[in-house]
Amino acid sequence: MPPSLSRRAFLRASSCSAFAAVINQRLARAITAVPASPLFESIPASRSGIAFTHTAGLSPSMYLPETVGAGCAFLDYDNDGWMDIYLVNSGPCDFYTPPSPLRNALYKNNRDGTFTDVTRKAGVLGSAYGMGVAVGDYDGDGLPDLFVTQYPHSILYHNNGDGTFSDVTAKAGVSSPGWATSAVWFDYDNDGRLDLFVCRFADFSKEKNVWCGGHGPGERYYCKPNVYNPMPSWLFHNNGDGTFTDVSRESGIAASLGKAWGVVAADINNDGLMDLFVGDDTAPNGLFINQGKGKFIDNGVLAGVAYNPFGVARSGMGVDAADYNQDGWIDLFIANVDHEMYSLYCNGKDGTFSDQALATGIGAITRLMSGWGLKFFDYNNDGDIDLMIANGHPDLTIHSHHPELEYLQPLLLFQGSSGRGWKNVSAQAGPVFDRDIAGRGLALGDFDNDGSVDVLVSTNNGAPLLLKNNATKGNHWLGLRLVGTKSNIDAVGAKVTWKSGDLLRHCSKVGGGSYLSAHDPRIVLGLGTRKALDWIEVQWPHPGGTIQRFAGLPIDRYITITEGHAGWK
Amino acid sequence: MRSKPIVAGLVILSGVALVAVQPVTAAAEQTRAGESASVQHGIDLVASGHCREALPILKRGLPRTTAKTLRYNAEMATVRCAMAVDDEQTAADTLLMLKREAPGDPEVLYIATHFFSELGMRSAHELQTRDPNSYQLKRLQAEALESEGKNDQAADIYREILKQNPNVSGIHYHLGQIALAEAGPSGSTDQAKQEFEEETKIDPTNASAEFVLGELARRAEQWNDAVQHFSRATKLDAGFSEAFLGLGMSLAASGKFAEAKAPLEIYVKQEPGDPAGHYQLAIADSRTGDKAGAAREMALQREAAQHNGATDNAQGHAVQQ
Repeated sequence: MPPSLSRRAFLRASSCSAFAAVINQRLARAITAVPASPLFESIPASRSGIAFTHTAGLSPSMYLPETVGAGCAFLDYDNDGWMDIYLVNSGPCDFYTPPSPLRNALYKNNRDGTFTDVTRKAGVLGSAYGMGVAVGDYDGDGLPDLFVTQYPHSILYHNNGDGTFSDVTAKAGVSSPGWATSAVWFDYDNDGRLDLFVCRFADFSKEKNVWCGGHGPGERYYCKPNVYNPMPSWLFHNNGDGTFTDVSRESGIAASLGKAWGVVAADINNDGLMDLFVGDDTAPNGLFINQGKGKFIDNGVLAGVAYNPFGVARSGMGVDAADYNQDGWIDLFIANVDHEMYSLYCNGKDGTFSDQALATGIGAITRLMSGWGLKFFDYNNDGDIDLMIANGHPDLTIHSHHPELEYLQPLLLFQGSSGRGWKNVSAQAGPVFDRDIAGRGLALGDFDNDGSVDVLVSTNNGAPLLLKNNATKGNHWLGLRLVGTKSNIDAVGAKVTWKSGDLLRHCSKVGGGSYLSAHDPRIVLGLGTRKALDWIEVQWPHPGGTIQRFAGLPIDRYITITEGHAGWK
Repeated sequence: MRSKPIVAGLVILSGVALVAVQPVTAAAEQTRAGESASVQHGIDLVASGHCREALPILKRGLPRTTAKTLRYNAEMATVRCAMAVDDEQTAADTLLMLKREAPGDPEVLYIATHFFSELGMRSAHELQTRDPNSYQLKRLQAEALESEGKNDQAADIYREILKQNPNVSGIHYHLGQIALAEAGPSGSTDQAKQEFEEETKIDPTNASAEFVLGELARRAEQWNDAVQHFSRATKLDAGFSEAFLGLGMSLAASGKFAEAKAPLEIYVKQEPGDPAGHYQLAIADSRTGDKAGAAREMALQREAAQHNGATDNAQGHAVQQ
């Protein structure tokens, strides 16, 4: 009888050809005829005017923040109806003194496919080692404000409405001392004001930097974060007067120590309260279920999303939430690092989730990849939710000690079918999907207002990629800008249902999602080839909570719907 | 050596019980000294390449050699000599003794590796000489090729064996493993599955084949099949802990949380340091309303995970600057 085969040996044996699978994937891309107009087209800086390059400040000391940033955002800072772009850069801190000044960048959309750098005028340069950005109108004045996460303290920029911003961090009380990563604006207590959740990564400082790897030449590498201690994230309650109260402890958020990279806010259990899914690295992922009255309980373990099936924490990074199978319940996605596979958590409707990564094939495809920014969206407006993921290994030196792995990795695009499976269409998505990049942030936004949701991908120590979406030809759509009046002004948590002939779909406006990034606040409803929209229903988040139905709406354009108003604009 | 009788004499004055002992001890010391000298002579003979003369001296002297260093050196010399003169029995016996008396000793492990490797080579050579057409020899060749990653060549030989000896156990198992490796993480496992099924027909006691079939079914989310295969694996080998885990996981995944608890409880007893069992049991407890059990297992899972993480660091993943 052959010797007993251990589970681990079996798992190892069955994954040994993963590298070959990746090679075959590349080969498939190389030999697949790319359509004349690729689904996604990378717009070069010479055309877009976006000359920004992220500077990581990579050093021989291999400080972990160097390899994980930074984020990006689509936002309409001047309320002209066109998506502008914000890009985060590194900056001075205890472990890094830039040889020349670095700054973040705000690019104004010129409405012709080009952008103009307005950072200095706007005054949103950043002030430390930048990580990510969250966009939300926290004071309800109709202008999006910016929360920029940094190490070792973050900044809240208030939008003054005249093209400038003011640093109101001290007054607001949201500086979040430590290593802040992703953040999200959402209304956890349904008081109609946007509160702020800020992910905190590990207990880190220059003094606490750890040496990983050997001491010989070229033997050092960027640490796996299990060498750092976990820390609690922050939850700030919006007091409605421009100030916030740190409620991390009393809300229960601080009871869970983690190493948080990504966060998404969504109503996981359909109880009208926004919950949080947090991706943690070498620590259990958090699933903070909102109990009401300002309390959260982390139910990640028993919900089945905290660990892999063997009870071991993975390296959770980017996260998102959407009802991909259209069963009425929010599902979750999280990217991990190589050999862990990404997870697609299907909501079991009873507070539990099951990982569908293997069953859908996503697990096999992502086995040797490391994912960061990611987002569910309907890239081709056919009415089904798809998924795009930015990838890249966190360790610059990974190939030298793991030849089967690469630091630079390609983007992935999965086409969904509302619960009938996922198809990897990366090979058909255009040459940019053949490029190996150090992908980090990923933001969605329709920068040319053609109804095709475009993508902005930030890279570590490199230039961002602006991907114009050409994939919607022949399909129709309606773009919605939702404005809350009783509920939070950004309508985070709203649910939209639409019917177009035989197509009945719904989506939720989640808060945040992806990694270090923020997105176009508008929702695009895909109709496929159907030429009319029968009706849409908007269920506003609490405290409004009402449902409004609209019929006779136009298609192939954006409209604004304001809570409580019968019409649309 | 003069001090010993004096000490013995003092002992005689101080008590009866030791009177007899000490003179004997003194005599023994003398004998021991002689034997030590003899053993040392044997070691010296080995060093000068006179193994045939040395081996009887060492074999005779070793049982009475108690001085730690001398004994260690004598045993090492015996192993080297025994290997040199093809006395496999003596080499094996002494090596096992050495491994027991000096556990983890790098030199002992080094010699053991060489010896057992040499023993393997000799056995293979003997097999080739005595029965060059035996399936056992072909199997050895195929296994060597398989270990080198030459799966196609190995598979050809395995199939050749099956043509001549269709009921040899273990061959389909190897073919199954090759098929799995060839399929990679995203390829079809149908061929592998078929081979493992054939294996279980030939050898219904092969718990490993049942385990792999269970694992393939689990990955394909075919919970009923997974449960059947894992169940059989646990019945065939009650110590096959991972089969219990697979069984528990598959039952839990199919919603049979109450049934999952028994195999998971066995698993956590067998593998208390693995967070997997505690994690799965916590979920099973939780879904069956046992909140206290779930809390207990969650705590054990955290503890086990932390311990594993610490071990990982201690092994050099990260070194404090």
